Amino acid sequence: MAERIAIVGVGQTHHKSKRPDVTTAEMIAESVERCLEDAGLQMKDVDHLVGGSFEVADGYHCPDKWIIPELGAVGKAGLELQNVGTTGGVLAVASFNIAATGLFDTVLCYSWQKMDEAAGAFGRGGGGANEYWTGQFPMSPITNFARRTYAYMDRSGCTEEHIAMVRVKQDQCALKNPYAQLRLGLTVEQVMSDVLLAWPIRRLHMCPTTAGAAAFIVCPEERAKKVTDKPVWVEDWFTCHQGGALTMAEDPTSSTLRHACEVVYKRQNIKNPVKEIQAWEVYEPASPAELRWMEEVGICEDYTAWKLFEQDKVGIDKEVPFNPSGGVTATNPIGATPVVRLVEAALQVRGDAGEHQIPGKIERALATGYGGQGENVIMLLRKTL
Amino acid sequence: MTAEQKKEEQPEFIQFRYPREVPYEHALGYQSKFANALKQGRIIATKCPVCGRCTIPPRIVCPFHHVKQTEWVDQGQRGRLISAFKINFPMFNSRTGELQNWENPIIAVELEGGARMDGWCAETDPSKLKTGMLLEAVWRPEEERQGRADDILHWKPVEE
Ligand SMILES: [Zn+2]
Repeated sequence: MAERIAIVGVGQTHHKSKRPDVTTAEMIAESVERCLEDAGLQMKDVDHLVGGSFEVADGYHCPDKWIIPELGAVGKAGLELQNVGTTGGVLAVASFNIAATGLFDTVLCYSWQKMDEAAGAFGRGGGGANEYWTGQFPMSPITNFARRTYAYMDRSGCTEEHIAMVRVKQDQCALKNPYAQLRLGLTVEQVMSDVLLAWPIRRLHMCPTTAGAAAFIVCPEERAKKVTDKPVWVEDWFTCHQGGALTMAEDPTSSTLRHACEVVYKRQNIKNPVKEIQAWEVYEPASPAELRWMEEVGICEDYTAWKLFEQDKVGIDKEVPFNPSGGVTATNPIGATPVVRLVEAALQVRGDAGEHQIPGKIERALATGYGGQGENVIMLLRKTL
Repeated sequence: MTAEQKKEEQPEFIQFRYPREVPYEHALGYQSKFANALKQGRIIATKCPVCGRCTIPPRIVCPFHHVKQTEWVDQGQRGRLISAFKINFPMFNSRTGELQNWENPIIAVELEGGARMDGWCAETDPSKLKTGMLLEAVWRPEEERQGRADDILHWKPVEE
């Protein structure tokens, strides 16, 4: 029988475009120290570490042999994992699994990306569902979302102006989050006249390159209750990769998010997600992705999310509190990005999000990680057991 | 400590440059049959005996049914446009390893045989691309083909 588990501490760096002042390890340590402080714990209390980044874009091979000693955690159990965009998601899920065994008391998950050190790694495209085939096309997150958005607009009636409204909403949220990287004060006109990368995707629609790190500590129930009086229970979690094979081949606008949510909602008997989940931190690598993801998580019918923006219903203190932190278009340290979503969702459940706190009681929050051609990791948090 | 002293103690942060190039030689294995067909100017796909889906690139088993796909189906030379996008910035060409501008939109095509594949479109004006339009494969000269996606230079719109 698995243990019930809770997040007892979270930490993240102030995300920036460049951090020439620190090594990767120092940057990670900033988030880890904030996390330990938040939990009221010391490194000696941690008995398992799980860490990782999108390794190709770091240029460090097997970095945990270097980082764990730099964190002052040498000799402790440790795993390193990576999965490109969903890296932080698989790190979180592995940490949950380890804590749920009850074999370890205090599991520290750390994640990072220092994109200022390997800018060239992101323009190469390649990879995808099949290295031989998709690797031959000049594909990247930009082109992935150009293709998705072209098809979405074709089917839905959504226009470039609606996508710009999504970007402005994301920016308005980021302006209230001191940890967010891009806090720009944008207008719809500014977004619509920005540099075109691949129609209809403009530079401001895409997630930025970020140097940043995020960490959390998860414990089994008994330990969690001793550590904190504000445990954030991890109610359920699920990984669903293979987006290219599972969904995109049949519908270029879709991802595995719908399937992954259906699995988790069924297990937790969630019938009306928009009522039963009060906070959302859903990984949107590009502004228009937020529209399709809102549909796939069950907030509204297919191809209608853009109408919610037209009606001004999306925002921190509005009907649909989607990505109150400003989301991924404001901050994207890739390997850490899903952990940033989880950290932000946990803060919302605790009521500790500060200026971007959603008003009212947050009983449930849903965080996700996204990667590649539609891969998703679901992390569902709860205030009460 | 005065502000001036503090400034003096601040080290100059150095970034250590580490250029490296790693050429990869990946085995194509069972996909070689598909790559060899491309060299001959043919497009073939594996077919699932359970659901009948044809897949490009080929797969040994159906991703949905975990049954071996022993049947290879000729997909013809024509297909219909599913999706398209055009890149407005330089990106890598995996054949040359160089950054380049991409004049031709990248498209997904549903072939006569039912499989879907990615390619480039001969029509460079994206506003002239309509979902469902009929396209035909235009091949590189045989001696230049390498079993690669760009053995098909582009897909040309066909009048109906
Ligand atoms: Zn099948």
